[in-house]
Amino acid sequence: MSDRVEAVKKLFTSKSSRIETNKGDTYYQELFVKCEARLNELRANTPANRLDFSDLLEENGIDRREFMKWASATTAMLMLPPMFTPLVADAAVMMNRAPVIWLELQDCAGNSEALLRADGPKIDEIVLDIISLEYHETLQAASGHQAEKQLEEAMEHFKGKYLLFVEGAIPMGMSGQYGTIGASGETFHDHLVRCAANAAAVVAVGSCATFGGVPAASPNPTGAVGVMDVIKNKPLINIPACPANPANMVGVILHYLLTGQVPELDSLLRPKFAFGYRIHDNCERRAHFDAGEYVEEWGDAGAQNNFCLYKMGCKGPMTFNNCSIVRYNEAVNWPIGVGRGCIGCSEPDFWDKYAYERPMADAKIKAPTGGVEKTVDEFGLGMLTAAGIGIAIHAAASAVAGKREKSGESHE
Amino acid sequence: MKQGYTQVKRMTPAMRIIHWVNAFCMIGAVVTGLYIGHPYYQTFIADGAVDKYVMAWNRYGHFIIAIIFDVTSVLIAYLYFFSRFEKPYKKLIPNGKNITEFKAVLVNLLTLNRRKEFDSSHADSFNTVYFTIFHLLLVWMLLTGLQLYVHGLESGLSSIGSWWPWMLHLSTDWTLAVTGGTKMDVRIAHHTSMWLILCWVVFHIYYQVWRTIFWKEADIAIVIGGSKFVKDNTGN
Repeated sequence: MSDRVEAVKKLFTSKSSRIETNKGDTYYQELFVKCEARLNELRANTPANRLDFSDLLEENGIDRREFMKWASATTAMLMLPPMFTPLVADAAVMMNRAPVIWLELQDCAGNSEALLRADGPKIDEIVLDIISLEYHETLQAASGHQAEKQLEEAMEHFKGKYLLFVEGAIPMGMSGQYGTIGASGETFHDHLVRCAANAAAVVAVGSCATFGGVPAASPNPTGAVGVMDVIKNKPLINIPACPANPANMVGVILHYLLTGQVPELDSLLRPKFAFGYRIHDNCERRAHFDAGEYVEEWGDAGAQNNFCLYKMGCKGPMTFNNCSIVRYNEAVNWPIGVGRGCIGCSEPDFWDKYAYERPMADAKIKAPTGGVEKTVDEFGLGMLTAAGIGIAIHAAASAVAGKREKSGESHE
Repeated sequence: MKQGYTQVKRMTPAMRIIHWVNAFCMIGAVVTGLYIGHPYYQTFIADGAVDKYVMAWNRYGHFIIAIIFDVTSVLIAYLYFFSRFEKPYKKLIPNGKNITEFKAVLVNLLTLNRRKEFDSSHADSFNTVYFTIFHLLLVWMLLTGLQLYVHGLESGLSSIGSWWPWMLHLSTDWTLAVTGGTKMDVRIAHHTSMWLILCWVVFHIYYQVWRTIFWKEADIAIVIGGSKFVKDNTGN
């Protein structure tokens, strides 16, 4: 009973996706002072690695002016007023003082790939290059016992200070034996719990780590779950999407570095600065949606005129993410921009419930009867037909019975 | 009036107005809702986007209809308990009398009117339960619909103030958890419930026509003229 009461309470007190874009001058003044003090404190610390941000910018041909443009855009993305721009720039330079441990669990390494973007790195990627990546299972040169020793040293040295980035789902089936790591054959679950124990905060990156993603798609053979289902007693930030946008990873780290706190989160623990809006709300093709101009099939006149992709199954109207604003790969492009619909990759259960590339009404989702796959409309029409047939039988029977009654009356 | 028949008042003008407002709203909601779910007609491709506003008009119509439904729902909920004419909630209480009547009306339907062992002059328990199912479905549609609507007020602001999205989140966020946890589940539930309502409507129309034909008490006139006619000797 008390469980039920708790469940109902939780249902009505859970955080919504509501966001405050302006919290008032006093709030920002206080935050500014706090951030300044924190940056001074960080400046006094010795960098955890020898990479110098200014050198790296120069090597990649990015001048100061371009960097400051990036800083003001990032400030805006974090929903901070313009006066924070110099602080954000400072924080970016001091990124090499943020120790990060990166775990790779059940996934395709797509988020590491997004983080690397080795082909022509832009500022977001350079910022991620200089973070003090103490341990990264995919990227590090060390292997075997040597790698494990490195992990243990990093966890000991930065105890309570490091950010734990997790990429990939956690298989819970068969007592976690679907995924093991290291010479001792530690399960992903135990590995994650051990590394999270002394982390300052845990950042789940990508849809697999946040909600289980593709490994958790029906029928979920490995019993995959997201980090939020395993780690309960730590500050946790979810950065979903497939892959997670490096801009949002930078945003979260910068926010942490600046304020020492996790950014404001929505009910799914996603930072509101990135996941407070729908794709649809800032989509460049939104006018075509309102006008009723849709791509009817690939390559038709509508597709050539950049019409709305809603009828091709775009899930922008149901997906909260900022890719219509920041796009991918330093604003080069994004799914709608290349002429294909959104598959809702930053929403829970996206593979089963969003990614079918046709409007929801045409989706081959499981009918409420279970098992048989039917579209919602086919199911509805079936129900309506059944009702119609029932009525027809009843009407016919009534008509016949009515006649009998009459003839019965005449006999009396 | 036909000799030997008594006129029985069954619906007040207010009830009839609400009935027809609901009926036409429903047609409008289904027509626009199906378009929103899957735009089933195309706009003229030669016209500029500024000249047409087809999806937007469909959504506008759908939301205005939803608000009219909101208002009539509040009225109906009020009338269920405080109507000075007939208080429907009294027919919903599962006491012996109502259960007996419910069964008798159901038996009448299933035996194709061969057995009719209840007083058909007043509103019966069976129909009241059936109508209540409809009102609950409608409330469900309103709550899931408002949940889908508030996704568009993501900044927490609306033209009528921030209390509105706040209230929508407070009153409808639970539909997310109940339908399966994602926004898509709410959408699927909203769409599927439309089909349930359509099935409800089909049986409703059939049943009222069936009553009119077999009971011979002009039941179909209730919703237009407000009254039906019963034989004098049926015991009232």
